[in-house]
Amino acid sequence: MIIEISHFLSVLATGLFFLAGSFSLFTKNTLYISNLISRTYSHGFLLLLTSFSIYIWLAISDNFSVQYIASHSNTELPTFYKISSIWSAHEGSMFLWIVFLSLWGFFFNISVKNDQILKSKSIGVISVILVGFLLFLLVTSNPFITILPIAPLNGADINPVLQDPALAIHPPTLYLGYVGFVIPFACAISFLLIGDSNIKWELLVRKWSIAAWAFLTIGITLGSWWAYYELGWGGYWFWDPVENIALMPWLAATAFIHSLSVSIKSSHLRIWTILLSISVFSLSLFGAFIVRSGIIDSVHSFANDPDRGLYLLGFISIIVFTSIYLFIFRLPTIKESKRIKKFSKESFISINNIFFGTLIFSVMLGVTYPLIYEFLFDQKISVGAPFYNAIFIPIVVLASFFLFFSVDSKWSRKINFKFFKTPIFLSLFFSIITVIYISDRFNSNNLAILISIFAGTIIIFRYIYELLDSLLNKKYINPFSVIAHMALGLLLVSISFNSLLSTERAINIKINEYEEYKGLNIYFDDIRVLKNSNNDSIKATFFIEDAKGKQFNLSPEKRRYFTRGQITTETAIHIMPLKDIYMTIGDQLDDGSWIVNIQINYLIRFIWFSAALMAFAGIMLIFSNRRA
Amino acid sequence: MNPIRKRRIYSILLVLLFSVSGISLILYSLNSNLDYFFTPTELKDKNIPIDKRIKVGGMVLNGSVKRASSKISFIVTDYENSITVEYEGIVPDLFKEGSGVVVLGFLDNQIVYAEEVLAKHDENYMPPNLDIKNDN
Amino acid sequence: MKILLKLIVFIVPTSFIFMFFMLLTNDKSYPGADYTSFKLPSFKLENLENLDTISNDVLEGDFILNVWASWCITCIIEHPYLMSLTKNGIPVVGLNYKDDRDDAIIWLDKYGNPYNLILHDYKGTFALDLGVTGAPETFLINDGKVVAHYQGEVNEIIWQDVFLPVIKEMEMF
Repeated sequence: MIIEISHFLSVLATGLFFLAGSFSLFTKNTLYISNLISRTYSHGFLLLLTSFSIYIWLAISDNFSVQYIASHSNTELPTFYKISSIWSAHEGSMFLWIVFLSLWGFFFNISVKNDQILKSKSIGVISVILVGFLLFLLVTSNPFITILPIAPLNGADINPVLQDPALAIHPPTLYLGYVGFVIPFACAISFLLIGDSNIKWELLVRKWSIAAWAFLTIGITLGSWWAYYELGWGGYWFWDPVENIALMPWLAATAFIHSLSVSIKSSHLRIWTILLSISVFSLSLFGAFIVRSGIIDSVHSFANDPDRGLYLLGFISIIVFTSIYLFIFRLPTIKESKRIKKFSKESFISINNIFFGTLIFSVMLGVTYPLIYEFLFDQKISVGAPFYNAIFIPIVVLASFFLFFSVDSKWSRKINFKFFKTPIFLSLFFSIITVIYISDRFNSNNLAILISIFAGTIIIFRYIYELLDSLLNKKYINPFSVIAHMALGLLLVSISFNSLLSTERAINIKINEYEEYKGLNIYFDDIRVLKNSNNDSIKATFFIEDAKGKQFNLSPEKRRYFTRGQITTETAIHIMPLKDIYMTIGDQLDDGSWIVNIQINYLIRFIWFSAALMAFAGIMLIFSNRRA
Repeated sequence: MNPIRKRRIYSILLVLLFSVSGISLILYSLNSNLDYFFTPTELKDKNIPIDKRIKVGGMVLNGSVKRASSKISFIVTDYENSITVEYEGIVPDLFKEGSGVVVLGFLDNQIVYAEEVLAKHDENYMPPNLDIKNDN
Repeated sequence: MKILLKLIVFIVPTSFIFMFFMLLTNDKSYPGADYTSFKLPSFKLENLENLDTISNDVLEGDFILNVWASWCITCIIEHPYLMSLTKNGIPVVGLNYKDDRDDAIIWLDKYGNPYNLILHDYKGTFALDLGVTGAPETFLINDGKVVAHYQGEVNEIIWQDVFLPVIKEMEMF
């Protein structure tokens, strides 16, 4: 009964969003109408939120007459995972996705005054998008379906891999990032609809875009962390198709927020910024399409259903083509400053845009090429890490060099071309020293890695100089930009070090035996079979002593869950400031020894830390008083 | 031609040149880094260079898994033909005799030396049955 | 320049969307649609209802083998379709997968029994040999050989797409 109320509220919300959308797009937006639109939207949102809250409550209270809850939750689960089970599969996660979309719209709605000229149209655009996706939810993937008359008693057995705090918060964060770009998109569209080139839509969306970007950054980072310690993949990035489709909007968004600041500062790149705002949102939608149409199989993809795919494709095409048509139609009226001065900050950001564009294009190609290839030649292929490395390493390094020189550049002015200015000279000098030291210390002549480290360190040193300069000489700096770019430098350095130093080996070892690996003394102390409530587990204990005499235990585990017979690996990780010792246990051999995989991962936490630092810079900027 | 138009044409040509060379570079590196996917039957009458990384998919033949120290060898079959795989390291959790597997590695003398052994996952993180292509 | 921009902006998404449309509409093959048959693995299991031992030689001819369990939600959804299959005279053998006998019998009492015979695979060993990954899964057996396989809920659409063509081709039942 309660589920019907929830269902009904969602339908009602769809109706209200439809009204808000039609008012906004088909009437003259007087202040009276604008107030009406704003209220209708808010009410629609509140209905949808109530509907979702009821749904959460049903999940918490184990209402298994709801088919979706019955197949994805279980009475035995802790409350936290009962809630997170909602987004463990297609229908519920789509529901959450839509609620978040409307949430962004709601915050936008309450924080922007009704007389802001772009507001009503933007809310209208958001409403139309909401209607499209709510119809998708209700028609093709309804989470409100009930199983009657007899409901199962205990629900299903939730996938153990999904019972994990990182997974519980990773999709919501990622969704918040994805759908957050609806705000810049909607504003860009309403800017095009109104067609008055003097409206500064860029200023309005700046903080919203950075907020969405920060969420996306955190979401991707959490996903990477989850794959590392829960899935037992033992790395931070795998160029999995779903990772890639999250990376594309991120790249586009990063390019977008850079172009946005150019448009705000000097009205250059305005056309480009509009195009990027459309691209970011389209790429987010594209991500939803790829994951939910089952066109690509990956760890994350949901079950295959061509109808869902077709609906999504149709709706996304409508959004994209309408935007493009509007864009082309209004192109002649958009005023932007021409002729970017050579070596000005704008010119560097334009170049940076080209790099980002290339990266996005390459990832897109990597994701779609196997599909095209199979379609055309009936031969399955896959695009692996080597391709992405071949593209990303040179472009990112090149972009870093441009970034390095752009630190000195000024808005709308030509750079002061003195190459041997102290900061440039000093940071180049220190970086060269660092790289020579590293190459000597670790006996490496891997050029790609050394150059990447160099690219990272010049950025870090250059910005350290800026920081010191600002502290000592009270020179003005933009702290957010400094933090975010230093984080980029740190990211480059950590990734390079990680691939330079990290090693792994599978050893076989018998109980009570010693084994040595990379200065680690490994003693296999114990292995036992544990009977847990829903799984049997084999848990091994190793005593490890490192070269400095520090001792610690590691207990990798292997679990076999009863109901699904699913086997999961529980990794054991010893965290040190600079490296992780990462251990997983494999099978037992005939001679009684066990295969154990040991990885030493260097600076892997710094990779996540750098990403978090970037997001942090963005969040700080939102809460700062800086206007632009 | 007036100088402005001339400059415009030059800049367009330059942009075209850059994008064409950029795209061809990307395509080139894409083509040289593709992993082709084969079933044991498809491998049978194909000449694959030793240094070409390939993916082979099929079922792990029952009773074929042999372990020697940290090396493991097994036979991948599509119920028509089969091929031996050798691998050093830990096989994934979902690796089982009689279930689907994908190995990534190099073919030499009808033995696949695997770099990676994968069991694919779906929504429920289970290895799906490999949809083995029937060539006939 | 602007014409070039317009052209690119229009052509890129069009081609992608066209491509995805082609892929979505083209790829009608369900997993298992192109299936290479293999021999039914040998087994020795108890009959769920009367505890008789059943092995390969008892099961002759053509039948449907349906993997199910009382803990499986999708099996409840699939259940009416299986009932209709039995009603139409198609022999359906159940493989009760990793399930408690009592739970299974209660389940059958509650919903009705669509199976001509039920094998009780408590440990899931036979299912493992079959390559079962979960419940429900359905196999089409022709004279001791597995000729089609589907993972997930069988309904009219799946029946038409996956099983019926094979049944017609092999002139089964």
